[in-house]
Amino acid sequence: MGDDALVSFVIGPTGPEHRKLANKVMEEVLNMAGLAFGDLTYVVATGYGRINVPFADKQVTEITCHAKGIHSLLPTVETIVDIGGQDSKCIKLKDGKVTGFVMNDKCAAGTGRFLEVIADALGVPLEELGDISLSAGKVAMISNTCTVFAEQEVTSQLAAGESVANLIAGIHEAIAVRIYAMANKLKILPDVAITGGGAKNIGLVRALEIKFGYKVLVPPDPLLTGAIGAAIVGKEAYERAAGDGEILKRSAQGLQEATFFS
Amino acid sequence: MAYVLGIDIGSGFSKAVICKNTAILSYAIMPSGGDYKETSGKIAEIVLEKAGLSSGDISFTVATGYGAAMVDFADRSITDISCHAAGVFHIFPSVRTLIDIGAQFSKAIRLNDTGKVANFVLNEKCAGGSGKFIQVMARILHMDIENIGELSLKSVKPVEFTTGCAVFAESETVSRIAEGTLPADILAGMHKAMASKIVNLVVRLGLTKDCAITGGGAKDLGLVKAIETELNSDILIPEEPRITAALGAALLALENACSTGK
Repeated sequence: MGDDALVSFVIGPTGPEHRKLANKVMEEVLNMAGLAFGDLTYVVATGYGRINVPFADKQVTEITCHAKGIHSLLPTVETIVDIGGQDSKCIKLKDGKVTGFVMNDKCAAGTGRFLEVIADALGVPLEELGDISLSAGKVAMISNTCTVFAEQEVTSQLAAGESVANLIAGIHEAIAVRIYAMANKLKILPDVAITGGGAKNIGLVRALEIKFGYKVLVPPDPLLTGAIGAAIVGKEAYERAAGDGEILKRSAQGLQEATFFS
Repeated sequence: MAYVLGIDIGSGFSKAVICKNTAILSYAIMPSGGDYKETSGKIAEIVLEKAGLSSGDISFTVATGYGAAMVDFADRSITDISCHAAGVFHIFPSVRTLIDIGAQFSKAIRLNDTGKVANFVLNEKCAGGSGKFIQVMARILHMDIENIGELSLKSVKPVEFTTGCAVFAESETVSRIAEGTLPADILAGMHKAMASKIVNLVVRLGLTKDCAITGGGAKDLGLVKAIETELNSDILIPEEPRITAALGAALLALENACSTGK
């Protein structure tokens, strides 16, 4: 990638006030890099709250950014499965370009929310689900699809003496089934990469590997893929403009003005 | 002359009806709890006592509902679809489309001109169209489930939920409460979301009038109104909508008693 390098990054919970948060992460990431806002050539925002980044020069969908990000990190990947807190999606790509995608943002089953709800019901921190599930003696099957009903089912299986590890293995299996069914609407081709918070759960990744029938790749910081892709989109916009001898159009909003906004 | 007993063990509540021929002599409703066997014995005792009868007076007993298999003293068990149809046809002979909204399941049943089941569609996979959704919202709003319908009818600006998922609606509600949205508007939004899921079932069957709603959901006037609006049709509600399947079970017990000569 030549001179291209990741200089600094920040990850934190989004919370309800997107605009305030956009400023906060920008300040943090600039501090870490030892840069000022004026040093940046171009800013691209992505994700669910991308319109709430007033100082961004451009907004790009997370589908495009995930594809760009993964292609730069893991160039052999042709299928991305992104498991986020509110939705899950499957993106097909060819040479870094999106050729198709499917998404589930209508039903909590098959998203990170399902894991959160069950982790809460079991009294297990979200981050520990993966490791605990690896010690399961067997997979306790969860027959309900709906998160609400699955929560009840987990509680009653727990009361009937089923082990926490087996139940967590069961919920990983349940999510993997949902995600595989969604991904299967597109023709799945290797390599497959898992991104998003779900990729940090080793139990879920293993369950998905069994469904897909081969090993999947996980980038080192799976939460960061979309943001890396957004930075690459920004770099490409700059290079295109420079190549055409044009001046890159910037947003009128600086970082300072943006803080008055919120 | 015959006394017959119908028992409906639902996922939320159990219902029992004793008929003297085709007339209701007594009925009882109680939570199903965790031990269906014990509940079925208890509710039979209550309904017999109300009728001033003893178990020996009953010619035939039909069990129905989610926990029908646990009613060990029943002479026969019959699906709740058939029992609902028999019950509603007895109360409203003009009904051709029945919507039953239970604690965990909702269904739409098409009746033919003789009151027999012609077709049906179930929603058992998703809490979005069931009483469970109402329970979830009642809990976050700290309300009694009985007061929800009336409050919802006072709404002037129903919230538009982005999905019909009860889990996502729960988190959306928390943000709306923080923004100061009125509980009435949140509940009206919930009823709209539920109505659209439930009406989907009817659309799959095709709406033939008259239409009736039974089950616990029929006691929620806000939900009934939302379904009326969405279906663009008047809806009939039995005086006690929760005992419809138990009544149908009793009526089918009568047919059995007559044909076996008991």
